[in-house]
Amino acid sequence: MAAADVAYAPPMKSGKPGYEGGVLEPQHRIRITLSSRNVKNLEKVCGDLVTGAKGKKLRLKGPVRIPTKVLHITTRKSPCGEGTNTWDRFEMRIHKRVIDLVSTPDVVKQITSITIEPGVEVEVTISDA
Amino acid sequence: MGGRGGGRKPRNFATFRLFPRAGAADPNDRVFVRVDNNEYTVPGFADEDSFDPSQCDPTADAGHLHSASGPLPEHVRREILELGLPDDGYNYLSHLRELRPAAAAAASSFVPSSTARPEPLPLDVKAYDASRVRVGPAEGELDEGRTMCKVAAKTAPVRRIEKAVDPDVARLLDESDVSHAGSEDEGLEEDFVIVANRAEGEESEEAEEEDEEVEDGNGVFSDVEEEFDFEDDPKPRERRLLDEQFDLLALEEYGDSDDDDKGVKDGEYELPSEVIDELKLFHSQNACVDEEYRTPADFVRRKLESSTTDEVDESVHVIKKCAEYAEKYLNETAEEEEVVLVSESSDESEVWDCETIVSTFSNLDNHPGKIETPGIPKRRLPRVFPGENATTNDIIKLHGKERLPVEYLPQRKRGGEKEKKVKPAEATIGDKFKKGAEKETKEEKKARKAAVKEEKREARKAKKELKGLYKSETQKAQKVAAVTGPSSIRLM
Repeated sequence: MAAADVAYAPPMKSGKPGYEGGVLEPQHRIRITLSSRNVKNLEKVCGDLVTGAKGKKLRLKGPVRIPTKVLHITTRKSPCGEGTNTWDRFEMRIHKRVIDLVSTPDVVKQITSITIEPGVEVEVTISDA
Repeated sequence: MGGRGGGRKPRNFATFRLFPRAGAADPNDRVFVRVDNNEYTVPGFADEDSFDPSQCDPTADAGHLHSASGPLPEHVRREILELGLPDDGYNYLSHLRELRPAAAAAASSFVPSSTARPEPLPLDVKAYDASRVRVGPAEGELDEGRTMCKVAAKTAPVRRIEKAVDPDVARLLDESDVSHAGSEDEGLEEDFVIVANRAEGEESEEAEEEDEEVEDGNGVFSDVEEEFDFEDDPKPRERRLLDEQFDLLALEEYGDSDDDDKGVKDGEYELPSEVIDELKLFHSQNACVDEEYRTPADFVRRKLESSTTDEVDESVHVIKKCAEYAEKYLNETAEEEEVVLVSESSDESEVWDCETIVSTFSNLDNHPGKIETPGIPKRRLPRVFPGENATTNDIIKLHGKERLPVEYLPQRKRGGEKEKKVKPAEATIGDKFKKGAEKETKEEKKARKAAVKEEKREARKAKKELKGLYKSETQKAQKVAAVTGPSSIRLM
């Protein structure tokens, strides 16, 4: 009734501490896709990113492990057609992890700039929050 | 699918991928690059670098340039020149790469080696070190016409070297090592070398003059010596008075009996002192001064000149002495010969000192028979003594020199023939008495042929006997041959 003098503050999610009433920059939904042939490195990068994001108090959806894609190549061992029909079976395993965040692009840049491991491909997709 | 087209989800997102920055030494230096074509913009992302791998425009600076059209902007040109690259309108900055400490640690940076090895020469190039070659100042000595004694006076030793470095390059390399702390005496630095060289040249000239005065007598030797100088370790200095004095001193201190050969190096050769004296006298007369070659005989035959009378005497003297020595030597050797007398032994002593008598028989008297296989026992004794046939005659005939009863002797091989011959002889003799001499030849022939036949028959018999006798041996041999020998051998 007589609530006009009180500034109407729309109900807001009391987020993280230090949250000062409205973000200076619009938050985006950011999806970081990490793919690699090397599981160890990939897991390491993943872990670093997650820890970085958690340190920045971002909303994080933990590393989602996409099923590994195995690419096969099956060829005859022999360069000519002679001999027992032996076949080589080569495979390449691609591992993929997906991390979802909600934050500003700058922060994401910061996070991704620190942790780098050779052989890990990082793709960042930014969308509207 | 018309409805499908309208209901497509709005693509309001942007995808960025991390790429390593071009020109960056560190592969970890990455930037976000947009990889989709949506119309969604993210203001705070990937704005700092306008890097786009699809466009090949590497740097922000390059973004200002037109690619290869028009001159480069001034600041770009200045930068290129500063780097030492040529100013030819091409933007070399696009090829620059950052050197980072991490990259350097990753062994991708250039570290100049402390032990620089110059490149080896290509195979078709030969390099010689001619830094030791003396050119110039020694010409004064050569003009005196001593060309005979100094063959190829201007040769100098040069050593072939494997690696040749340009002196300028070497100097630059050295300079880069030495830190020039901006010395104010730069002028002096460059000059003092020249000054020093000049000073040395003057010194050597002075020494040369002195040498000529002092060493007039030893002209030849000194020349020879200088040749030695060239041939030995290259010593570019002239022989000065000081060197002579040093040599003398050395000889005095450590030398042998010969103390007068200034021009001879120690240890090169040692002549007896008398010879040296003679030679010295000879050389002091400057025998090689003139162009024309002279023998002492020339002087003797009065082709001498007034200035060389002394020489004549000397040469004569020398020759005389040589002859004396030769004679003495010859006589000495003649006297020293010892006559070795070898006495011949007398007849008595010419007896064999050792006598070995094996037998008193000798081949001259005794003819040993040939060793043969044991013959047929029949042969030893004829079955029928021809003497028996001839008993009709009641005469035992003795034939031959020894007067032997030939018919009754054991005959040899030809004995058969003889036997047979004897028989027909007997027969013919017998026939003779009965028949005429004409038929002898026919019967003789018949008898002869019969005898031959008989002989052959007997030989066959003997062979058969022999075969039978040694059959066991052949069996053994066959056994052995079957094992070891070739199968072509047939023994039985």
